[in-house]
Amino acid sequence: MEIIEKIKTNKSDGNLTEIQKICLHKLQSSPLPNPKSELWRLSNKSKLSTFLDYSVNEKDSKFDIPYPKNSQSTIRLIIGDNCQTKLIEKNYSIEQLSDDELQKYIKEQISFFKQNENWSDLLNLSLSCKNNILGLKINGSKIPPIEIFSHASSNSLNAKTLVIFLEKNCDVELLQVNLGKENSSLSQSTFFCLKENSSVNHGVVSYGENRSNLLNSLNVIQQKNSAYNLGSLHFKFNYARFEISIKQSAGNAKTNIKSMQITKKDEQISTYTKIEFNGPNGFLDQINKSLADDKSHAIFEGSIIVPKIAQRTDASQLSRNLLLSNLAQIDTKPQLEIIADDVKCKHGATISQLNEEELFYMRTRGITLTEASKLQLSSYFQEIISFIPISKDKWDLLDKLLNEN
Amino acid sequence: MVNENLVKDVVKEPYKYGFVTDIETEKIEKGLNEDIIKLISQKKEEPKFLLDFRLKAFKRWQKMKEPDWAALGYEKIDYQDIIYYSAPKQKEKISSLDEVDPKLLETFDKLGIPLTEQKKLTNVAVDAVFDSVSIATTFKEELAEHGVIFCSISEAVKNHADLIEKYLGTVVPASDNYFAALNSAVFSDGSFVYIPKGVTCPMDLSSYFRINSGDSGQFERTLIIAEESSSVSYLEGCTAPMFDTNTLHAAVVELIALDDASIKYSTVQNWYAGDEEGIGGIFNFVTKRGKCLGKRSKISWSQVETGSAITWKYPSCLLLGEESVGEFYSVALTNNLQQADTGTKMIHIGPKTKSTIVSKGISAGNSKNSYRGLVKMGTKATGSRNYSQCDSMLIGDQASANTFPYIKSQQPNSEIEHEASTCRISEDQLFYLQSRGIEFEEAVSMMVSGFCRDVFNQLPMEFAAEADKLLALKLEGSVG
Repeated sequence: MEIIEKIKTNKSDGNLTEIQKICLHKLQSSPLPNPKSELWRLSNKSKLSTFLDYSVNEKDSKFDIPYPKNSQSTIRLIIGDNCQTKLIEKNYSIEQLSDDELQKYIKEQISFFKQNENWSDLLNLSLSCKNNILGLKINGSKIPPIEIFSHASSNSLNAKTLVIFLEKNCDVELLQVNLGKENSSLSQSTFFCLKENSSVNHGVVSYGENRSNLLNSLNVIQQKNSAYNLGSLHFKFNYARFEISIKQSAGNAKTNIKSMQITKKDEQISTYTKIEFNGPNGFLDQINKSLADDKSHAIFEGSIIVPKIAQRTDASQLSRNLLLSNLAQIDTKPQLEIIADDVKCKHGATISQLNEEELFYMRTRGITLTEASKLQLSSYFQEIISFIPISKDKWDLLDKLLNEN
Repeated sequence: MVNENLVKDVVKEPYKYGFVTDIETEKIEKGLNEDIIKLISQKKEEPKFLLDFRLKAFKRWQKMKEPDWAALGYEKIDYQDIIYYSAPKQKEKISSLDEVDPKLLETFDKLGIPLTEQKKLTNVAVDAVFDSVSIATTFKEELAEHGVIFCSISEAVKNHADLIEKYLGTVVPASDNYFAALNSAVFSDGSFVYIPKGVTCPMDLSSYFRINSGDSGQFERTLIIAEESSSVSYLEGCTAPMFDTNTLHAAVVELIALDDASIKYSTVQNWYAGDEEGIGGIFNFVTKRGKCLGKRSKISWSQVETGSAITWKYPSCLLLGEESVGEFYSVALTNNLQQADTGTKMIHIGPKTKSTIVSKGISAGNSKNSYRGLVKMGTKATGSRNYSQCDSMLIGDQASANTFPYIKSQQPNSEIEHEASTCRISEDQLFYLQSRGIEFEEAVSMMVSGFCRDVFNQLPMEFAAEADKLLALKLEGSVG
């Protein structure tokens, strides 16, 4: 693990930014997460070490975007592309954050970091060079949809960071696509700050090729009356972790999450979510779906934290899992930690395989077993996919998933 | 609106089992080392295999670390500051109940467990354990007629050493966890039950555990073996006096059910919970596990946990036999500064195994109540099913309720369903009941009792009524 050695000895070449130095310093005492901690307990150690085995690549090579830009109105950005973004229109503006603004915000976030909980972010920020950090300030309404791409090239580890400020009363659709090449590692950290009355439909689609790895972390802070909707899909990674942390800083905000992970072969994909309500009247509706086939392993751990101040919180979390093979395994752990008494909180979890009665019904109607299974799977996938913004119009994710199966 | 002041004024029933029996006791010195273990073993005139078992467990324990993963906070326990053996002084051998110190009989009388011939409960056989020793076991002869062995574990070690040697530590090995290792090294007394093949135990069996001294811990061990096609219902109750120090209770319970056997294990745990400031109370660290070894065997745990300052308890089922069934019904109530981290583990190993978990947590005052459970489907558990339901009720805005279910499946032909919810006593419902002329406290108690109904239905008759009353008492004055 070359990277860890470098962190330990602090022998990094080139000029480091102040943030990189802070994060390296934080990592030095314990460069790897504690494998016994709840968040890393089930994580495959050898896969994590494979993730760290590649050397860091700061330059970006060309890559194929999975679908053409067929509409003029979509704004497309690629992290690391060195693009200068400044769009000021009548209704809206999208500007890059100044270095000062970026530094200030990231430093503030780092001050809240915990070694195990935010290890992926610490690693990301210690590796992400200035070019690979994209900071955006979005303001206004009627903003065209935004697509942001992150990409890892073969035989290397790429670290990309995205910081987005959504100003007051702003409303936007944003799709983040993370692509991994063969034998690559991508470390992607995203920081979202939703100011009052803003709302975002956020989509995250991550998929890799043979033996690609991903550490994807998403940190969202929601101010009052903001709405955050997340639709996410992770598939085709040898090893992937999706860590979501959402804080409703003063309550009175809405969060909707629909996430899905699909694992095959010997892949391991996990989703960890932590939703904190730091004020009253918060709302959460979360569903996570997993599908595990072959010898793969899918993990979901979700925690909902409702302190005393968060009265009248309404939170629900559902974990639905399909286990399709004798050698695959699924771990799920939905959690509730509640102190406020005037709350409505519930969670549920199921693990099963495709419904045999439904399959039988369809077969009696002349549909083949393969077709019937596909139909069932498509309804299973559709709930999540239809929640992912932008892509649904021009990118047939459902087809892609079904054909992969 | 519910009048908050009313809450504070409502009667607070003192812990009525908090008295101390003034009796001459024999205690060994404080501390834990090999000599102490040898001394305990010698006092109990144990065979060599048991001493070896204890010493081996002690060695393991020394290498282990106290677990800290539970959502509990308590001061570090000084294991050298505990007396590991304490027994009321009495004649060497007791041939009948008449020879038992009347003070002891009186104590159990006061606790509602009369042991004497005239008063003893008619349909329940009782094994009464006082500190480290078993005082008396009722209905022994009647049970023996059916071939049922029901005695203290010390007696079983002497009279049924073969069974003890064969089964002790097979369900909860000494190396299982820190507190199980500690118990295996120093366990004092407890109950032993053996139900022979084809026998349905003619009456309920019951153990009553009483801690009397404030500086000695209680480490009882219970072993229940149900042979093929037998069945038994076992009840367990516990109380302790009020001391301002914390007393350690680390018990191990092992159940073994062979083909078609069924064991029902019910607990009403009412150890002293400490006062309102959280001073005193029992630290209750218990390892309970049942092994459904045989085909179609069934183990059912039902528990009402209302006492103890700290509860750390996860009655579990290992479902090995084909079509075996595991059940867990629990009501855990915490008030004031009590902390409970309790739940169950259902490990599905054999095919077509089934398990049901119903857990109801009620947290009031400044207490902390966590459900922690594991459901695991092994690779061979085809056609297995689990259903879990965990509901929490919060009373007051200082209490906390947590749910930590761990679900793991390696078998596609199995189904796991889990649901959890959190609610509070709704003002609308309270208003409705009060408008029908039902007193405030009674309305609360009715709602709590309704909330726990699923679990109370599983308790044996005598216990269910008791549990209902117990909850009402414990909760009085905590609703706001």
